Amino acid sequence: MKMKKFIAILAAAGMVASLAVGCGNSSDNTASAEGSGDAAASDWDAASAITVVSREEGSGTRGAFTELFGVVDENDNDMTTLDAQVTNNTSVMMTTVSENEYAIGYISLGSLDESLVKAVKIDGAEATAENIENGSYTVSRPFNVAMKPDLDNAVATDFMAYIMSTEGQQVVADEGYIPVADVQAYAGDAPSGSCVVGGSSSVSPLMEKLIEAYGEVNPNASIELQTSDSTTGMTSAIEGSYDIGMASRELKDDEAAELEGTVIATDGIAVIVNQANPTDDLSVDQVKSIYLGDVTTWDAI
Amino acid sequence: MKSKAWTEKFMQGVFFVAACASVLAVALICIFLFANGIPAMREIGFINFITGQEWRPNSEMFGILPMIVGSLYVTAGAIIFGVPIGILTSVFMAMYCPKQIYKPLKAATELLAGIPSVIYGFFGLVVVVPLIRQFGTALHKAGLVQNPGNGNSILTASLILGMMILPTIIGTTESAMRAVPSHYYEGSLALGATKERSIFRVIIPAAKSGVIAGIVLGIGRAIGETMAVIMIVGNQARLTGSILQGIRTLTGNIVIEMGYATGLHREALIATGVVLFVFILIINLSVALLKRGADHE
Amino acid sequence: MSNKMTVGDKLRTYLKHPGSFIVMLLVMLASIITFAVLIFLIAYILINGVPHITPSLFSLEYTSENASVVPALVNTIIMTFLSLLIAVPFGIFSAIFLVEYASRGNKFVEVIRLTTETLSGIPSIVYGLFGMLFFVNALDWGFSLLAGAFTMAIMILPLIMRTTEEALKAVPDSFREGSFGLGAGKLRTVFRIVLPSAIPGVLAGVILAIGRIVGETAALMYTSGTVAQIPDSVMGSGRTLALHMYNLSSEGLYMDQAYATAVILLILVVGINALSSVIARKLTAV
Repeated sequence: MKMKKFIAILAAAGMVASLAVGCGNSSDNTASAEGSGDAAASDWDAASAITVVSREEGSGTRGAFTELFGVVDENDNDMTTLDAQVTNNTSVMMTTVSENEYAIGYISLGSLDESLVKAVKIDGAEATAENIENGSYTVSRPFNVAMKPDLDNAVATDFMAYIMSTEGQQVVADEGYIPVADVQAYAGDAPSGSCVVGGSSSVSPLMEKLIEAYGEVNPNASIELQTSDSTTGMTSAIEGSYDIGMASRELKDDEAAELEGTVIATDGIAVIVNQANPTDDLSVDQVKSIYLGDVTTWDAI
Repeated sequence: MKSKAWTEKFMQGVFFVAACASVLAVALICIFLFANGIPAMREIGFINFITGQEWRPNSEMFGILPMIVGSLYVTAGAIIFGVPIGILTSVFMAMYCPKQIYKPLKAATELLAGIPSVIYGFFGLVVVVPLIRQFGTALHKAGLVQNPGNGNSILTASLILGMMILPTIIGTTESAMRAVPSHYYEGSLALGATKERSIFRVIIPAAKSGVIAGIVLGIGRAIGETMAVIMIVGNQARLTGSILQGIRTLTGNIVIEMGYATGLHREALIATGVVLFVFILIINLSVALLKRGADHE
Repeated sequence: MSNKMTVGDKLRTYLKHPGSFIVMLLVMLASIITFAVLIFLIAYILINGVPHITPSLFSLEYTSENASVVPALVNTIIMTFLSLLIAVPFGIFSAIFLVEYASRGNKFVEVIRLTTETLSGIPSIVYGLFGMLFFVNALDWGFSLLAGAFTMAIMILPLIMRTTEEALKAVPDSFREGSFGLGAGKLRTVFRIVLPSAIPGVLAGVILAIGRIVGETAALMYTSGTVAQIPDSVMGSGRTLALHMYNLSSEGLYMDQAYATAVILLILVVGINALSSVIARKLTAV
């Protein structure tokens, strides 16, 4: 008797499951059909709920974003709505926004792919390197590197000199970040040896290019790049396992006490929406109210 | 002769020491996880930590109830989708499959097990998430649900996890069914039972322990899966009543925030790992007890 | 099966037993779903990845231009080799202890079995946390291949133990008795008679373990680090293929190369599976 029940349950469950998957498969075709039509703007329903996508707590990008847009309470605590989706991954952020017509997210300007998503203007200013430099686009954060003041590593010192030279800052500009002004031409003595650079995954793509460019002017040095995160970068630089640490945020007080930080570039943060979204321009307050969860549909803005 | 006896004794000792390795490993894992996780639990307060509904590390609020519930939701969902399909597919593989296509199919299920979870994640993000979003919108328009959700949901994660545990379940169930002596099946047929009746009332009951072992392994994989889940489940650290809404799992909580965490936040994440570990221990122990009970029957 | 039935016979049986017919349909439906999903998934990877497999993907050095998989491939091989080097002796020896030496009903054996089962159930993220706390921090090895390999070794230990145990158990007792009868000692019997006949089973376990190492991400992220080069020594950090793919995909700059890497990973898995089926065939031939 027990067996009969088991079979019945099994059969029922199987039926439900296959039904669900069956539905999935059939709607699959409609999905691809619509996808190829590239989501015509007429489909866009402004009454739909906004899908808010955010980075994880503690991420340098999220820290800078919440601070700059004021998504904080009076004690500077992060008040991003709990209904926001969270990802720790730039490409998941971009894919989510490009797949979901009603989504909004934010990413580093250097990673922005305008064939996938649309960056909105903030208070009328477009998210470009020029606008950050002239101050009209205010959503940006520094890329820091830090080393111990008494570090005895000729390669590390020389590499730092290269980053802060005209050549190094040219690489920064080529990669779409905002370079530091007032730099001299590189005049290092190309010492041989090795050093370890590590930290923030946001700074890492830029650092990779810098290391490659440095390798051309100084083939004697070997530089190892560790991609982890801002905090690990700073801690390891203090402990000495990295010679140079990278952070995509300002140094915290206890870190600044042990390390000497240098801003090597400025990175903008782009607020991104789906390409089918007719919204082109948002004010700081509008973004803030979306991320606080006060506004939940696109027509309520 | 004497040296030979000595070698025998010595090697026996070596084997014994090797056998202790797994015990030592479990002990080390327990010690290090607990030593790093318990202080945070004490500081936050164990009850606050386990039953707290708010996770705002920057405001020093560490409640992981949403994550515990989230892990339970997606695991249950994975079982609902994965287990029936997995068992029925293994019935097909063991009893129905024509010889000519068996080999490629078997190789294919093994391949399914070898695909890295990141790929399942992207597949879910690009293919399944939009489907579920449309499904939710359709339900919403039909007035069946209040909130259509946005595709990154418990349902999506359940579907993908269900796919991911298929090879585990198919592999163990199929081999358990093949291990049942063929005269059971033939005897049942000879008594006039149909093929299906013989399979489901004779073979599967005889292979029960193998089938259960497969399901348990599947549960373990579903609850421990990380990389695929964080891409598709939304990761909102709050409770929800709808399977069309997103939620965060225990594993997701660790991976998402570990990179930037410092101080108490980091310890709280390790404590999350401890909770996950205890979950697995409970599952394993109860299965071991069940098995012992079955053996004594 | 001796009782060959014609299609007509089958239909008649099913007409008499509609319940059986429904069950049969369900079985077919479930299998179709499983294999449709599988084929869809593999096609998805191939379509996205194959067009991006270029010669530059196989450059010897990784640069941000070519996103070469070669260093990651080499690291994967080193990682696999190291982990096996650690886990295989331990796994085989403990299986020998359990099967050949331990007396039945021994409490200690039960403890070992329980811990092995526990080990095989621990999620990889927990292994990652443990590896980071123990090997990376407490033993101060830093992010290194060695720390990764030890973590992986613990992870695959139960797998190797279990398959070896099964293989040893499958060796008939008459082999052992024959060897004892000829005057061989226990150790000699184990190494000369029992273990050689169990080798195919052990190898099958090793190949399963390799598959697990190759596909692992979460446990290695916190132990072996993410440097995209081949390290100078095992104390250096390096990322394996699966981790390489995760890193390529995470900043969103190299999605094409990430899919191409996935194809290479898939080919690797197919290769390992093919190897295991060759060995399994040998096993049945013996």
